[in-house]
Amino acid sequence: MSTQTPPRYPFAWTPPMQVPEALRTVHKTSAIEVTLPSGDVATLVTRYKDVRALFADKRLSRNIARPDCARISKDNDLFMDPNIDPDPPEHTRVRSLVTKAFTARRIEALRPYVQQVADQLLDEMAAGPQPVELNEALAFPLPIMVICKLLGVPPEDRDQFRAYVDGFLSVTKLAPEEVGKCRQNLWKYLGDLIDSKRENPGDDLVSELIRVRDDEDDSRLNEHELHFWTQGLLIAGYVTTASQIGTGTAVLLHHPEFVRAIQADWSLVPSTVEELLRTQIMGSSVGTMRYAIDDIPLSDGSVIKKGTSVLLSEEGANMDPEVFDCPFELDIRRKENHHMTFGAGLHYCVGAALARMELQVATESLLRRFPDIRLAAPAEELPRALGGFMEGFTEIPVEW
Amino acid sequence: MRVTANSDTCAVSSLCVYRVPGVFDQDEDGLVLVLDESPAEALHEEIRRAARGCPTKSIRVVEESAAEGAVELARGDAG
Repeated sequence: MSTQTPPRYPFAWTPPMQVPEALRTVHKTSAIEVTLPSGDVATLVTRYKDVRALFADKRLSRNIARPDCARISKDNDLFMDPNIDPDPPEHTRVRSLVTKAFTARRIEALRPYVQQVADQLLDEMAAGPQPVELNEALAFPLPIMVICKLLGVPPEDRDQFRAYVDGFLSVTKLAPEEVGKCRQNLWKYLGDLIDSKRENPGDDLVSELIRVRDDEDDSRLNEHELHFWTQGLLIAGYVTTASQIGTGTAVLLHHPEFVRAIQADWSLVPSTVEELLRTQIMGSSVGTMRYAIDDIPLSDGSVIKKGTSVLLSEEGANMDPEVFDCPFELDIRRKENHHMTFGAGLHYCVGAALARMELQVATESLLRRFPDIRLAAPAEELPRALGGFMEGFTEIPVEW
Repeated sequence: MRVTANSDTCAVSSLCVYRVPGVFDQDEDGLVLVLDESPAEALHEEIRRAARGCPTKSIRVVEESAAEGAVELARGDAG
């Protein structure tokens, strides 16, 4: 038995375009212990088979507001709200209120708007000097505009809440008091938004949730839940997609042969987007924190003990050689690509279809508009976000 | 091939609707609907992929072969 400190998690993507060595060897066992930025130890489940099964396993609670559950950050109570129960039946009740906004039909109805925003951003990009920083020009504004539209947030507020959200998702980046300030400001902002929607309801998701809150009996959605889930949708609908647009594009531009292939056959865009999601170079799985409320056997015969804090390694599952041929290679033509980036089971990312659509529109529009687009700096020198929930590239200079 | 789906466990991923739109659809709440329970053979492979890819394993495919009778495909893995 080793007395060494378990390896640090998230695994560092250095150099930036290479799969970390730890991830290449992580499938030898079903689970390993890791040390989180907080210093707490959690069990990281590594194989596709186990990760997929455990995402749907009721013996793993998503309620991590427990005194003995590992914390992601010691400076930030990320996702630990004792007033919210993200397990069924409470979770199911809330989730069913929002899923109807994310059906394939509704997402497709949004596609022309997303295209219009993308075209407008690319126009502005073309009109300015080169090189252009892609996060600021496209990757962040696009999903912000879309989530504003969906939730009914005034677009002029977007810079303000972007700053709050950045603080909200700090792991070690900001001091605790800064994090606290951002969280308070975001909560107050949402309160004002909800008040104004209550007075002037619109055709948007927040107005719809308020209607459910106010019209139905109190068992439907209480005021705190209304706040909490609006905040969740706002954050989840923006930061994740933004990071993936920027980082995925950087990875793609690092492979000009794939860019040429897509420009010769635009039907490759969806499978390219899926492959960039699979290799999800921009993030780790710290957001999958669970707590075992019973003993759970894994596929290699080991057992997760009741009371263990568990992370489900989406990136481990996505690079499991048992499931994916050449798992560490980017293959934009990959046919069978049931990656775990959006999770699985009853917590499957409610915004997955929206994210996919935005990623497809952003990727295709950019490569059509700028046929010769390329990175304006060596890929190895692109800086990464450290100490935040998302670890994508913070600066992606491009030219054409 | 016979295709059925369990809307009680559906998590509204929309993956099946995008993959085989003529066979799968969603109701007002986003829950899965099967439009064609006995789809044409040309669609079978895509439907099997959709079933394997469903995040909640809510799609059930029963293969009907003359030699073996009805054989249900395992829904467990995405391999």
